[in-house]
Amino acid sequence: MLAAVVDILSWAALLGGSFFYVVGAIGLHRMPDVFTRMHAVSVSESLGLGLLVFGMVLQAGFTLIAVKLIIIMVVLMWTGSAATHALARAALHDGERPLLQDESGRLVKTDVVSLFPELQHRLAAPLVSEAVEGEVPAPHPQPGEQQA
Amino acid sequence: MMFAVAIVAVLIALALAVARTLMGPTAFDRLLAANNIGTSAIMLLALFGFMTKRPEFLDIGITYVLLNMIGTLAVLKFFRYGALGHAQNVKRDGDDF
Repeated sequence: MLAAVVDILSWAALLGGSFFYVVGAIGLHRMPDVFTRMHAVSVSESLGLGLLVFGMVLQAGFTLIAVKLIIIMVVLMWTGSAATHALARAALHDGERPLLQDESGRLVKTDVVSLFPELQHRLAAPLVSEAVEGEVPAPHPQPGEQQA
Repeated sequence: MMFAVAIVAVLIALALAVARTLMGPTAFDRLLAANNIGTSAIMLLALFGFMTKRPEFLDIGITYVLLNMIGTLAVLKFFRYGALGHAQNVKRDGDDF
């Protein structure tokens, strides 16, 4: 009886995880710019991954295998969110402009600094691609420091 | 059986991520998709191990998780600082090393 319940729960978790994983991948394929693609990937890397691992943990029971699965899930979720954060930051630094709606409802590539002027001192940090060829920038620009 | 369904789903996701890696207009798209490919490969390893009743594959999965983490952080550090070494070691104009 209990085994059947666990099996059904495991089935449901695996199917749900598969669904969210494919949804995230479709979003990664079809979304229009890099920031929306990050948003889509986060679906598959949080809910899809979590449900798939949950389904497998239910199949494994209280064993070392379940512990290993949970280690994999924790590390993947931690690095996934850290990597996405750093990737968005790097994309903004590199001059990538997100697609946002303007007043008339059209999607335009918007300069973020025009919307949030307080970001100026952060986003004006030296572009990475210039660091190797030109002058060496300070690695951590101080807040409030204005870029020439 | 249910693992086979999940494996098919992960394979579809893998194919779409590979397509985005090849198409991706910016380097950040490629990096995002490559990161997703790594995650999908780990899930594929785990699910395949369960399907064949040999969950020892999970050890390989853990190794791959750690490699994936280091690889992602290395690429992101490169984007941030322009070099993988210490910031003082970035090549200056006139330096010859």
